[in-house]
Amino acid sequence: MTGPNTPLVQHFKSLVYALGAAPADRPFVTMWKSATEAEAVTFGVFRERARSHAQYFGSLGLKKGDTVILIMPQGIQLMSAFVGVMLLGAIPAILAYPNHKVEPAKYHFGLAGVSANLKATLTVVDKGFPEDLLSHIALHANSRLVCCENELPSQPWLESGDDVEATELAFIQHSAGTTGLQKGVALTHGAVLRQIKHLAAAIRLSSEDRIYSWLPLYHDMGLIACFMLPLACHLPVVMQSPMEWVMQPRSMLEIMSMERCTLAWVPNFALQFMARRTRPEDSYGIDLSSVRALINCSEPVRASSIDEFVSAFSNHGLHRNAVHSCYAMAETVFAVTQSDVAAPGPSRIWLDGNALRRQGVVRVVASSAPDSLCLVSSGRPLPNTRIRVVSNAGEDLGISRVGEIVVQCDSMLTGYYNRPDLTEKAVRDGWYRTGDLGFLFAEELYVIGRKNDLIIVAGENIHPEDVEEIISAHRAIYDGRVVAFGNYNPDLGTEEIVVVAEIRNHNDLVNVPAIERELRSAVKAELGVAVGPLYIKPPRWIVKSTAGKPARTTTREKLVAEHPNLLHKGDHFNV
Amino acid sequence: MSDPKAQMIEFILKGIIRSPRTPIDEKTPLVSSGLVDSLALVDILLKLEELTDTRIPIGKIQAKDLDTVETMFSSALRVGKPRK
Repeated sequence: MTGPNTPLVQHFKSLVYALGAAPADRPFVTMWKSATEAEAVTFGVFRERARSHAQYFGSLGLKKGDTVILIMPQGIQLMSAFVGVMLLGAIPAILAYPNHKVEPAKYHFGLAGVSANLKATLTVVDKGFPEDLLSHIALHANSRLVCCENELPSQPWLESGDDVEATELAFIQHSAGTTGLQKGVALTHGAVLRQIKHLAAAIRLSSEDRIYSWLPLYHDMGLIACFMLPLACHLPVVMQSPMEWVMQPRSMLEIMSMERCTLAWVPNFALQFMARRTRPEDSYGIDLSSVRALINCSEPVRASSIDEFVSAFSNHGLHRNAVHSCYAMAETVFAVTQSDVAAPGPSRIWLDGNALRRQGVVRVVASSAPDSLCLVSSGRPLPNTRIRVVSNAGEDLGISRVGEIVVQCDSMLTGYYNRPDLTEKAVRDGWYRTGDLGFLFAEELYVIGRKNDLIIVAGENIHPEDVEEIISAHRAIYDGRVVAFGNYNPDLGTEEIVVVAEIRNHNDLVNVPAIERELRSAVKAELGVAVGPLYIKPPRWIVKSTAGKPARTTTREKLVAEHPNLLHKGDHFNV
Repeated sequence: MSDPKAQMIEFILKGIIRSPRTPIDEKTPLVSSGLVDSLALVDILLKLEELTDTRIPIGKIQAKDLDTVETMFSSALRVGKPRK
């Protein structure tokens, strides 16, 4: 419970001040590498490292108001560089680090749009950044690329940030989405600190809490919940690289057990992913009794995923009410709603599936009713947050009707960085249009999907148009005759990308295996995710709309009719 | 029973890529080529542990160590511990 000893009652005008107020000897970040290897820093040491980065960036001419792109592996160096930029009153933005060998030409394309939009003065990479990609980072004329030393000379912490006001920009976090369509969300110190205050209250944050995270820092869940929150509230956080977690998902459970962590945020798929990929013999020694809230966020929350996780680990000390839910987005800094962490898990309701799908009407039925659909609440709005559900025309739908979720709160974005056109489209009369579909019921929010055809793969938003464009570019594919869509795979606990593409020439049908391989490589290289089922069809197979474009819904129906095994059975709700 | 590497190739084709027509052999790049994405690595790793009768300690293996069937078996030999 929040009490007089928690630092949360303090008010700071900037994140820099919040960090400066932390006790020097209090543990801050532990970067876990293996059972025998970890790097740990206290708040005091972290501040010295941040100051070293500030001095280094200052020596390169960085000044207040400049923007800086950071492309470094997950870890303390990246985190202290991020704060080092803020110490100068400059504005950092973290971009994803290339995980695997990426085709250089594709990397150039991927980064060009974002770096051009940010007009960054500096782009900072680490010494280990792949050499063949260095020359492919696209920078604008007044920007500089620097390789940051792993070890910078330690600098004493001096009070700084005197001239940083709450209304000034703290950093830019990118909205989830593929690189070409990522939008830089500009956030002030004040907005971030207000979000942290509300979130801390909603999850009843205590000075006894210890956070675990494998979440990437270029994503709001990792950056806000697992870096800014512990930074401003002076709490320890144990981190792991996302790639190490995804290769060995049981590692999260082992680290939480060993480090006695109390809080973590995960996308929905992670629950099932861990439950199904932790063998009984690997569960020995797992003790989750310290976990008071595991918060399911960033994908629609599924009852089956929660139940599977709880059932798999309740014998390992996991409290039956430990899994909670949250609805969050980069544009509001992070959380919009949060389930009551003192309640026995998020609320659930059973609805008439037909009424929901066909009429967008919420009709509660018994759980045993035919075609009943179980939906999990994302909780109540945070303090100073208002939610409305509106029709396509923007009319209020009130409660119990499905529509677009629009949000207003005191931690809203200042705007999309250098994109007033996008800001104007997304924010109308002070309300942010989320593009998510959901409904309000008993004062709680239920999120059921996206208004457009966005595909959510393990928490990453993938626009089908991006996939279609890449596939269309292949010489053997009829230009524009490609359809991509998301399909929930219960084994993965998330959506996978399904692609159907029309071949240009009948003669190429004999080369399908090689073409398929090239198409998979192209999508992976550009978007960083793999294609699931891929179907290459003869000419004139794809259904076109009256405008002559591929009709996504009708083509999907035709594909499912030909390949009925494509659709998995589950409790998912496809809008 | 065929040799473990052949079993791994069969598993990847049928269980991961789900396209038996895709030509892969022991030296085919899987991760760096985009044939296999990060979400599938855990399934490959669990299969590798099963086929080599080892347990690979957390934090001791990276994606590049699983890039080909050949490298994954040599990695298991290097860092795997005999299963109890």
